[in-house]
Amino acid sequence: MTSLTIKGFEVRMDRLYDLVHHMWVEDVGDGRVRIGMDSLGVETSGTLAHLSAVAVGTLVSRGEPFGSLEAEKYVGPLVAPLSGTIVAVNDEVFSDPRKVESDPYESGWMIEMETADLAAERGGMIEGNDAIAKRFAQKVTEYRLEGVLAE
Amino acid sequence: MTGESTLRVIDFGRVSGLRSQTLWHAIAHGVSSGAPPTLSFMLPGEPYVSIGYHRSIDEISPENELPVFRRMVGGGPVYIDDGQYFFQIVIPVAMAPARRGDAIRSLLEPAVEAFNDVGISASLDERNEVVLGDRKICGHAAGQISQAVVIVGNLITRFDHDAAASIVKAPSEVAREEFLAQMRRYVLATPADPGLFLEAAARRYGEKLGLGAEPGTLTDEEQDQLNGFDTLFVDPEWVDGLPTRENGMWRAKVKSGVWVGSATCNGHRVTASFHDDEIKEVRVEGPDETFEELDQLLAALAANPPI
Repeated sequence: MTSLTIKGFEVRMDRLYDLVHHMWVEDVGDGRVRIGMDSLGVETSGTLAHLSAVAVGTLVSRGEPFGSLEAEKYVGPLVAPLSGTIVAVNDEVFSDPRKVESDPYESGWMIEMETADLAAERGGMIEGNDAIAKRFAQKVTEYRLEGVLAE
Repeated sequence: MTGESTLRVIDFGRVSGLRSQTLWHAIAHGVSSGAPPTLSFMLPGEPYVSIGYHRSIDEISPENELPVFRRMVGGGPVYIDDGQYFFQIVIPVAMAPARRGDAIRSLLEPAVEAFNDVGISASLDERNEVVLGDRKICGHAAGQISQAVVIVGNLITRFDHDAAASIVKAPSEVAREEFLAQMRRYVLATPADPGLFLEAAARRYGEKLGLGAEPGTLTDEEQDQLNGFDTLFVDPEWVDGLPTRENGMWRAKVKSGVWVGSATCNGHRVTASFHDDEIKEVRVEGPDETFEELDQLLAALAANPPI
């Protein structure tokens, strides 16, 4: 596992990223992936109060919500970075959303999905050290210019 | 139909309790599908209880006989009646700041200016609460519905503190009394003319968004969505919501940073009010005024504020 800190935010290089919705995807084998929120998503969400997810067994399409989060009375969708069937939900984080904030890349994972064609799904995400580092840095810069993140 | 540089303003007037929720959910879907950013206003015609998307139906008193509607934005159960004039600002996701707290603040600022325009010296505190001094004067909630960001707020012209406290399921009468006392202290009605507030809010939101405010109506698609939401919002399965997990502590928020908590230990119930992490009032029900675990229980309550 390689971890880098880019402009103050931790990024795991062994993951795929959807940086529009700030979700990471980890290939855990047998067509199964683990999904969670990246550190920039945690930062822009604010203190998480509630999380909910659709039931195990539900088929979810890329770009559609697999659940929702609430922070500061703001309810927003948790968006699936790829299409597949939800096969596991991390009950611990749905009981205590603060785990997503304290450990977003490990114990703070949210769901596992089975996907029929991970190779095809990869095209819609960012992967590889150089691409991840470059795009993540761009996103932080963009947010700072917009005043979304403090310098 | 309004154009792309327009802030559509819809004044629905007095509507049913159900419609005071479903109308703006339909608008959110309309704005997601290309309808212009919209500022809407309405007065609920009868009392009801509104509960936030993630919250347990068990937070509502079993003695409540008012209709309950579950909204798709955040926050806890609240009492609503025609003393609360509601506004909703609905914009496409792309127009809102990416950080949620900033989006809420940014979209509440024009409302605060509108309060001032109608003679109420409101401000936005550091916790994004609209206040007059240290008293909350506007209940608000927020969320992303489809591809639209929605902020709902109200001009409270009359507030029934007793009714507002009564709809919350409290673990004891002492806890309810404390909650009511804190509500009376920290939630304030600011009677102002709703028509003037509407005009001021339309002008201020138009300025903020760089759009010209124009009166408008629902699109045909929004009308269809409205019918769907009218059905969904009275569906018992929707109203009941998802199962939630509780940690044995009762907590009720009065405003951001002010809340009442209650928990039991060894035959005692402890109820306390908290203001910005400070314990302000402690009430013990049980055989002794103090007991060995009191400090621990208070510390546990303090460590678990409602978010």
